[in-house]
Formats: sequence, structure tokens, C-alpha cells
Amino acid sequence: MEEKVMLVHGGGGKQTSELIHEVFAKRFRNLYLTEDDAAILPPPASNIAFTTDGFIVSPWKFPGGNIGKLSICGTVNDISCMGARPKYLSCAFVIEEGFPVKSLEEIADAMALTAREAGVSIVAGDTKVAGHGQVDGVFITTTGIGERLPGAHPSGKSARPGDAVIVSGDVGRHGCTILLARGEYGIDAEVTSDCAPLWGMASSVFDVCRDVHVLRDATRGGVGTVLHEIAGQSGVGIRLDASAVPVDPAVAGVCGMLGLEPLYLACEGRLVIFVPKEDAEAVVAELKKSPYGENAAVIGEVTPDEPGRVVMTTELGTQTVLPPPGGELLPRIC
Amino acid sequence: MTEEGKQAVAKARAILENYKGKKLRIMEVCGTHTHAIFKAGLRQLMPENVELISGPGCPVCVTPADFIDEAVWLATEKNAVITTFGDLVRVPGSEMSLAGARSEGADIVPVYTPIDAVEYAKTHPDREVVFLSVGFETTTPSACLAVQRAEKAGLKNFSILTANKTMDEAYRALKDSVDAYIYPGHVCAIVGTRLTEELTGEGISGVVAGFTPSELVTAAATLVELCSKSDEPFFRNCYPRVVTRDGSTAAKKLVEKYMEPADAVWRGLGIIPKSGMVLRDEYAAFDARKKFSVPSFKAKNPPGCRCGEILQGKCKPTDCPLFGKTCTPEHPVGACMVSQEGTCAAYYQYGGVV
Amino acid sequence: MCVGLPAKVVSIKDGMALVDASGAKREVSAELLDELDPGDYVMVHAGIAIAKITDDDASEAASVMGEL
Ligand code: SF4
Repeated sequence: MEEKVMLVHGGGGKQTSELIHEVFAKRFRNLYLTEDDAAILPPPASNIAFTTDGFIVSPWKFPGGNIGKLSICGTVNDISCMGARPKYLSCAFVIEEGFPVKSLEEIADAMALTAREAGVSIVAGDTKVAGHGQVDGVFITTTGIGERLPGAHPSGKSARPGDAVIVSGDVGRHGCTILLARGEYGIDAEVTSDCAPLWGMASSVFDVCRDVHVLRDATRGGVGTVLHEIAGQSGVGIRLDASAVPVDPAVAGVCGMLGLEPLYLACEGRLVIFVPKEDAEAVVAELKKSPYGENAAVIGEVTPDEPGRVVMTTELGTQTVLPPPGGELLPRIC
Repeated sequence: MTEEGKQAVAKARAILENYKGKKLRIMEVCGTHTHAIFKAGLRQLMPENVELISGPGCPVCVTPADFIDEAVWLATEKNAVITTFGDLVRVPGSEMSLAGARSEGADIVPVYTPIDAVEYAKTHPDREVVFLSVGFETTTPSACLAVQRAEKAGLKNFSILTANKTMDEAYRALKDSVDAYIYPGHVCAIVGTRLTEELTGEGISGVVAGFTPSELVTAAATLVELCSKSDEPFFRNCYPRVVTRDGSTAAKKLVEKYMEPADAVWRGLGIIPKSGMVLRDEYAAFDARKKFSVPSFKAKNPPGCRCGEILQGKCKPTDCPLFGKTCTPEHPVGACMVSQEGTCAAYYQYGGVV
Repeated sequence: MCVGLPAKVVSIKDGMALVDASGAKREVSAELLDELDPGDYVMVHAGIAIAKITDDDASEAASVMGEL
């Protein structure tokens, strides 16, 4: 096989099937993945959760993962956060002409490994090749189906006063990792992405709490954006204990240098969970059992006051708010 | 925090809580202070008759729209790579912001330090690289260092577009609007406190403050206490762990070598004589304005925007009819809404609660 | 107007200091400060060490209030 992906690999002919077989099908192998035009799946046991997500990331590979792992985690986590067990995924690739086949294999390896861990089968796929410069390396879109656990009903609208707000680990790692991997700001720190498939952790939350009000995975925009969204959708206030928010010291250092807020840096393996206060302790204990949850913590509570806002108590004992998310993250001097 | 630190904070709070003296107007003139004050919730500790005003200390807010127009012109007409602090990317010019220019194909590169802009020029010898040099005394030395490096490396494709400003004339220009200043800690770190001490001779009072909650509350208490003790002008350095009497001699020498004072336009305030810094004629080769014969832009201030009065403490953001309606951080009309440190942005984000 | 970050000096070479802020490392210019040694703490702004830090903010608060 050639060393680099060429336009002819997207042409639909012999080379296309060779690429698909050698790079993808071999690794993704499962009962439902066939050479026919569509996968035939058994009927679901319950209501299905269905979602799709596109992935672009530069660089395509970073400490703690690559775009392949990311593309599985993203969709798996969205399904998981609806209280549904991820079952099947499809994936579509747009590959830049000239992209090394070895790198593509590395991406496919990560996808296969992550899918296995998450318990999903990749049952359909598509490959297109775009001219040099038309895409940046590889773009991946994954679409997924999951089966909802009976009785699960998390929703962004369901936060209630008295709920505890829990985060499953330290915040801002993925965003910080990508920022450093781009090398634009000359900063060096040992940070790895938190990118992880979260169904195991999410399902354990449902095991110990019958009434999970909100379950979200923080992605772009970070945990801070999730908190603002939930406060808005549920029409409640959130009282955040800023000192309880787990942040890796190196992430905090990077943020300090660039004037950024860790709560607004992207995560790819963090759950934000709202449960009745009395269940909080059990949920945190359960989260800590997961390999991705050792830093899980209660970071705040829901209040009826200040609907739509995220309020914090300061070091001086006064009140302040977490300013709403501000869009593109840029280093600043003032 | 240590026990002695806690006690100091408690004492400072008590001074603020028990203040019963005359009405005071205190102005912080540093955007980072504005932000830190909101973040620390300091306003809630201020006595009723002490008003905290946010002055013109955010380089983004005081930089006139013409400057953005110049930068956009360089990017679009001269195909220059614009290197800039992230703060300026979203600031609206009269036609568009740098972010807008970027979406139309211009090369806008945010940098952490001007030194990186020089590195960028080194590695892109086929491009003209312009650094947008904004900032006060704290930031200006970094721009001069950049020019120095470019000079040493014999770079022909690097230049800076200056909008640097100094604070001393601004202190004087605004002195009738306030009873005392909270002087900007990091400006004083460079300049030293001699100047601020001298200002007391002109009847101007103030304290230098740091940026942590305990530094802010102790500085505020010192200020209120000294105001209530006597009517004499005063000065106190409440940030001694960073600020010295002499400041950085090396920084001052460096700036003196490369730059000279010039009249400068402050957005909202108009021209303040000798309050700007521009490159000396010897360094014209590094002065983007001269190098590219940048035409002069006469941007109009957005109609209805009251930034100018706000920066002088003459009104509050909430007095502006556009505030929170057509003017929000997502769609800023005026400069005070653009920067996170801007007074209007701070009021918008924190307003109601603090 | 000027965000500053306290950081510890790890090493100094040719007017540049490698500084460390809780694990985040970067080279910054040390040209504006004389007598800087590894182990010192500096205030960093826009890639430049602008001042040596001589104390922590708690004991500073104590000395400031003590002076009143
Ligand atoms: S709210 Fe907007 S328009 Fe009004 S003064 Fe502030 S920045 Fe200007």
C-alpha cells in the first residue's frame, strides 16, 4: 500500500476499498460491519439516543490521545450523558491528500481501542479524500446510537434548588493540552488530555442515584460554560465553591501566564452532574472508583436565587459571579 | 492565608466598615484592578459614601478606533502579518475588527510577548510583520526589547505600530474628578514610586495597590484611613513586595533609548499632551506608520456611546442607553465593552450581584 | 492594565530566565532586572520579568496594616 493518502483513494475504485479494508475494516471488525451499503442492527431494548458530532483538531495527535480517540469519546459521551448505553457508531472521514497512511493507522488503532473500551461497535463508515489544503489533515464525523436505561431522565432543564453540583475530575486539561501542543505561546508544561470514554463512569452514577437531574460532558467551553447553560436552561442559580474546583497546578500555571480561566478551557473526559444533595457523597465515592474519576468533587450547589447566574463566595467573604463565557480564548495582557 | 495575614484583612475590613467620614471618590486606573476588584467582591465592603470609579486604565479601552483601522489597513492593503496581544483581536474599528479582517483572509497572529513577534519575523523572512504596540509603562519596555532584538538581528521585515501611553499626565488630567487614586501596581513596578510621591506636591493623593484580594482590601483601607485622618495630600506604597522607589532603571533606560513622548489620543478623553510614546526618528525603520506611510484615519466614536464620560467617572455604564441592549460583550459598541477589563464589560458580567 | 504572574526563576542564561509557575515553564526576558538568581520569584508581564518579588501577600498585608 502507498505511504500517503492520494486523491485516487477517495475515487471509489480499487484503491478506495484497499484503504478502507487495510486501515479501517481490519481494525474495527465486528458482527455488524459488512461490505453492504448499510448495517442491519437488532431492534433496541428501549428508547434510543441518537447523536452526531464532527471533529477537527490541530495537531491531530496530542499527549493523551489523537483525533481518532476524540471522535469516539465525543459521541459516546454525548449518548452516555442522556443515560443511554452507547451501542453503535458510524464514522466518516475526510482525509487530506498527502496525509501519511501510518498516521491514519494510528488514528484507526485509537478508535478501535476506545470503541472496545466503551463497548460500542463501529458498524458503518465512509472515506473521502480532499485536495491538499482543503482540509487540515483529517476530519472525522461520528454518529451514534445508544439504548436508554429505563427510568433515566437527565436533562439540562432539570436542575433544582438543593442539588449538589459534581465534577468528575480536574478541569481544563484537554484545552490546555491542545494549546501547549500547538506550541504558539512557547510554554512548556506536563499536561495530558483528559480525553476518555465515560459510559462506565456515567452508568455507575445511575447505579447509586435513581434521580440524576442533570448529566453533561464538558467539552468546548469547559465546565464553566456547562454551568452557565444549566443555570439558564433550568432557571436556577448555581453557587460555586471556587476553591473546591479541581485544577491541575500546571494547568493553573499556564492559565495564569496567558490570563485564561481554567473553567473555560475544554475538557473531553469530564462529567458535570447534578443530583439531590443527599446522594452526592455516594456519587462522588462511585466516581472515584473509575480510572477517570480520582479527582471527582462536589463543587457547588443549586440555589433558587440569582437564576441564570453562577455565583461564588470570595476569599473576602463577599459575593462575585463567574463571568459568562466570552468566546475565543486569547492570551491577554490586561 | 497565614494568621497575621487574616488579622490584617480583618483590620482593613473594620476600617472600611466603620468609616463615617466625608464622601470620597476613589479611582482605580488599571483595568486589571477593575477586574480584580469585581472578582474579589471589594465593592461590597466599601462604605456607602465611598465611591469606586473605574478610570482609563485599560489599554484596549483607551486605544482609539483609528488604531484598529490602521492595523486592518496594514493587514489588508499591505498584506502584513499582524502580531498582537489577544486583547485587541475583537476590538471594533470603524469598518471591522482584526477578527473580521482575519475571516476575510488577513493574517492575524496573537502572541504572548512582543519578543515572539520578532521570532515570527525571523522565521517568515518573506513577510512583513507588524506588532501592535499598545500598553502602558509596564508593557512598553517589552516593545522596546522587541525593537532592540530586531535591530541586533538586522531584521528588515519587522516593525511596530505604536499606541503606547503613559499614566502621569492622565493622573493630572483627571485629578479633579477624584479624591484619591489607587495607583496601578505593575506600572509603578517599572516607574517606581518617586513620581507618585511627587504628585502629592501637586495635591494628588493615592496608594499603590497589588492585585490579590488581601492587597486590594488593605490598600482600600489605607486609602480611606489616610483620607479621613487629614486633608493633606498623601501617598503610600501598599504593594512593597513588588514596587520599589526606583522601579526598574534598566526598563526606563531602554524605553528612553528607543522612544520619546508625544501627544496621544485617548479614546473617550481626547488628546492628552505628552501622554503617548512613539519610536524616535533614528528607529523610523521599525515604525510601521512611517515605513508604510499609513494614511490617517479619523474614526468617529460610535454614536450614543458614553465611554468617555465613564472613563472619567462622570457616569456609570448603567446610565448609557445602549448598555446591555445593543451593547453587550458579544456585540460591543464601545471600547469599554470590548475588553474584559473594560468598565462596561465588568458591569455587564458582574452587575446585579456585586 | 497589566496582568502579572508570579513565577520562580529556574535558571538564567543570556538575559533570559526560565521561569516556573506551578509547573508551567517559559523563557522570559530577565534584561530589566539586575541581580537575579535561580530561586528568586519574579513578576512576569508580557514575557518579561518586570520586578523581583520580595514577600508573599499575606505578610505584606500585615506590614501595610502595621504602618497605619
Ligand atoms: S455600554 Fe457600550 S455604548 Fe454604552 S458606554 Fe459602555 S461601551 Fe459605550
